[in-house]
This record gives sequence, C-alpha cells and structure tokens, in this order.
Amino acid sequence: MKKIEKEKLLRHLEEKGNLVRLDRARQDPLSVTKSSHLPQEELLLLFRINGDKGVEIRVPEGRGGKILFGVSPCEARAVDLLDLTFLRDRIDPYYKRKREDNVLFVLACNKPRSTCFCTSFGYGPFSGKFGDVFMVDIGDNLLIDPVTEKGSKALEGLELEEATPSDLEKMESLKRSAEGAITTVNIEGISEKLKKMFLDEIWADLAFKCVNCGACTYVCPTCYCFDIQDVERTNWGYRERVWDSCMFPIYSLETSGHNPRPTGVERMRNRIMHKFSYYPELYGEYGCVGCGRCIRACPVNFDIREALETLKEVEVAA
Amino acid sequence: MRENPYVPYPALLKRSYFESDDFSLKTFEFELLDGNRIDYIPGQFCEISVFGKGEAPFGIASSPTEGHILKFTVNKAGLVTTALHEAEEGSILGIRGPLGNGYPVEKFRGKNVLIVGGGFAFTTLRSLLVYLLNSRSDYEKITVIYGARTPGLLLYREELFEWEKRDDLKVILTVDREFPGWEKQVGFVPQVLERTAPSSKDCYAVVCGPPIMIKFTLPVLEKLGFKPEMVYTSLEKRMKCGIGKCGRCNIGPKYICKDGPVFSLAQLAELPEDY
Repeated sequence: MKKIEKEKLLRHLEEKGNLVRLDRARQDPLSVTKSSHLPQEELLLLFRINGDKGVEIRVPEGRGGKILFGVSPCEARAVDLLDLTFLRDRIDPYYKRKREDNVLFVLACNKPRSTCFCTSFGYGPFSGKFGDVFMVDIGDNLLIDPVTEKGSKALEGLELEEATPSDLEKMESLKRSAEGAITTVNIEGISEKLKKMFLDEIWADLAFKCVNCGACTYVCPTCYCFDIQDVERTNWGYRERVWDSCMFPIYSLETSGHNPRPTGVERMRNRIMHKFSYYPELYGEYGCVGCGRCIRACPVNFDIREALETLKEVEVAA
Repeated sequence: MRENPYVPYPALLKRSYFESDDFSLKTFEFELLDGNRIDYIPGQFCEISVFGKGEAPFGIASSPTEGHILKFTVNKAGLVTTALHEAEEGSILGIRGPLGNGYPVEKFRGKNVLIVGGGFAFTTLRSLLVYLLNSRSDYEKITVIYGARTPGLLLYREELFEWEKRDDLKVILTVDREFPGWEKQVGFVPQVLERTAPSSKDCYAVVCGPPIMIKFTLPVLEKLGFKPEMVYTSLEKRMKCGIGKCGRCNIGPKYICKDGPVFSLAQLAELPEDY
C-alpha cells in the first residue's frame, strides 16, 4: 500500500471534478452512494406534443461524474449488488452512465456502529476490494490502494509514498478493533431454509409491529425498486422514475383491486425473501450488506438481525 | 426494442373501435412511426404510453404474420386505460416492446394445440391462433374453447364466427347462461371443456382467463391427462418497467415481465403462490 496526506489528496480530487465528501458526515441515514447511482427522482424522458406533427421525445443527458470520497465498504459492496440488476439483461442506460462516471473512494470503517453486521456476509470494515480506490485513515495519513483502473487514473499525477511497516501495523490494529466491534450473524443455510418457509406462520410474527412506513427500503443501499410516473403540462411533460417500496400496499395493487400482497405480512415476507432467498438464487449473493441502516431508521425497532435469528430458530418440515 | 429500453417508439393510433357491447373494451390499431418495426411472437406484450398520463402493459392481440399493424384490446379501468379509450384516431402515442417471453410456438410444431380462453383474456390467444392458422399445416389438431359472460362480451366475434366455419379447426364458443338468440354452447368454460373432452395426447394447452376460470380449468385439464409441462398460461401483475428492474412483478425470484408472462404449470409449481 501507498500513503498520502489526506489534505493533499482532497486538493487533487477537488481539481479533478465534482467531489462529494462522505467522510465527514459519515453514516448518513440515506445512502448517498445509492442515490448517486439511482437518484430518488430521476428524469427518464421529456416529451413535447406538437399537434399533428407528432411527439418529440428527448432523453436527458444526465449529470457528470462524481467523486464520492469516504464511501464505506458496505455501501461500495451494495453498488456491486445493484449492478446485478441494472447492468445485466437489458442494461439500464441511466444507471450505467452514472456507474461509469462516478469514482468511489472507499474508506475503511475505523469505528463501526452497534448496528453493523457486515461481517456476516463474508467481508468486513477493512475489505479493500470494493469501489475504485481503497483508503485507510491511520491518523495523520491515509493509506491508499487503487482497486480499479478508474481508481488508478484518478490518482494519476499524485506523489504517493510507500507505506512503512509501522503504518501497516497501525492498519492491522485498527482493523482488528473494528472487526471486533461488529456483531456477526451466522446466516449459513438461510437461503435454502427460506425456500421452504413461504407459507410459514412466522411471517405474521415478524410483521406484527411493522407499520409499513418503508423507511427501511429507502435507507437500504441495495433496495432499488422504483415507480415510473408521468408529469403532464400543457403540450409537454416528462417521465421520471422515483424510488418505490415493497412495503407499500400500492406497490403491488392491481387496477382490478386485486393485491397479491394485501397485508404487511406478505410484504415483510417479500422484503426478507428478496434479500435472503431470491437474490442468492439468482446471483449467488445475499441482497443485504449488513450496514444496519434499516435498523437505525426503523420507527418501531425492527431489527433485521433478530429477524434472521428468529428465522433460523423456526423448525420447518424437511 | 431500443437501446434505451425506457424510450417508447412514437406510434400512430390508426383505428380504435369498441370490442364489447358494454363499451368497456376497445381495440386499438397502431402503426409505429419513422419506419420502426418490432419483431414479436404471440404472447409478448408492450407498454403503451399516453404521454402525460403514463404507461401500462398490454398483451399484443395482433399476430406478427398480419403485417406491421399492432393491435391491442384494452379494458377501461384506470388512469392510462381511460386516457387511451378517450384518445382520438390519429393521435400519437408511445409503444415500448416487445416485452416478455411469449408462447413457446416452436414447441407446438407438429403437435395438437388446445386454446382455452375466458372473457377479455383472449387477446394474446387471438395472436396465437392467427399465428398458428397462418401456417396451418405445421400443426396437428387445433381446438379453441372460448367463453364470456354474454355473447356481446366475446372479443373478435366476426373472426370467431368465420373460424367456426373452418373444417381444419374446432371452435367452441360458450356464454355463462342462456341468452336470447344464442344457439351455441351455454355454461362456464371449465364445464364446456369437460364436456368437449379434447384428447391430451401430443397436445399442448394454452389457458388464459380470469383467475376463477383458471382455477376451475386446471383440474379439468389434469383429469383429461394434460401433464403440467404441456399446459401454459400467461400471468399478470402490476408492472412498471417491463424489463425486470423496477421490482414489483416478481413471483419468488422470477419476474413476470422478463421471465414470463408465459409459464408452464410445471414452472409455476416451482414458484411460491405470490400472485
């Protein structure tokens, strides 16, 4: 690893482009990393109706690249998970453009929160394989290591020093203490088990205190469900996508009045199943990164870690 | 489909007319502008945009063998469909597609095909039937059983009556109860299916209709010896993007818009009952 003074790096990045600092206001309730790739409201197209001459459709250019500085490893991993939806099959051009333009400077988590459980998913607060550049704050300096070519390019022109053995020792000790502060939930086998639990009664227990506010899904860095809506003006208008939530009744309500997920029970089941059963089945990865945002945002103290423990306890017929 | 899958093709509404005598269903015929064409197979769907109101998914009722006019039959029910019903001929709307997988028409080659439809779910079945009839000799026996509540609610009546006359095709039409002037079958689709008792030998069945019809039809097919992998149906759920991104139309890990809407009963048996 190399090392550099933080101020020097920041000055360099400020000159490079649109620098977004996440290292100061860390652990935002909303994931800025998610909204930088999938904004809460995003223009898909503009249209103008020209009488007999037809409809003119225009696709917005989209904004230029951001340098996201201080992304936590969990959020960077979450973007990799979003890729599985938006960059496979039919590629989503709006997402792709941002994904290609944005540069993610990941900062190892020195001080995890009590709600963190990232270590349950085979990585940790010092995992250096996500985003474009990996950094560790060792006090006076940042240890720094490019992960991707895009990351190397962002560092071009900077003089980097070699990290000394004592720097690396410092990093190791920070890593040990960070990892030690994190709860690990043993989720081995949960996805296979959930496949047999669709009709289990436990969902009613889990959903009991949930008020279906959807906060968990809005703060979740891997939740991506969206709605598409038109806004109409006189002879012109636009179509945008906005975040939606599987916790809302209208999300799956059909025009006929039929709703396949009419109560909070079915909706809770779908949210958990999606992350811990459907995601693994489709991609071989859990759809949760253990960031704990949903736990912090929940108004009724629903704790996904407890839910996972509960699900593990349930006995299912083989 | 375009490179940007969210951008519709501008489409001219060439013709629209009421399809049912209660004025709830209208058929729309579109022509894509600017020389655009889409290649589709029966059972696929499109998102129709009424600019400013939104878009909604509809099964394609025309067959690719009929030329470039795209046909849809739409029930007036919500915001977009109401705006669509009110759209004047000559208006320009948007069409995105084709979306979804469609019926496995290649598998039907050299086989018998049974088409069972109910109510206004006959749209993609019409597409399928026209498609099969276009190269009639590629398929063995074709049987159609189609029912509605009243004669006036049967879609594509004139065509149905013409098809009825053909001797290379068996068309059985039914209405739920006696109706003045109706001399064809009377009874619900599952009952008529049971009475007709088509052979399941080398036969694929395609079933589309309201949930209640499907519910009572499937056991009859089973009794007739149809294996789950020989029975196909087309599912619906609330949809937005149509390309497996926006999330809402999932059944377990599958998305109706992308992995469906056509599934065999064997495939559905693997999925949770979440629809």
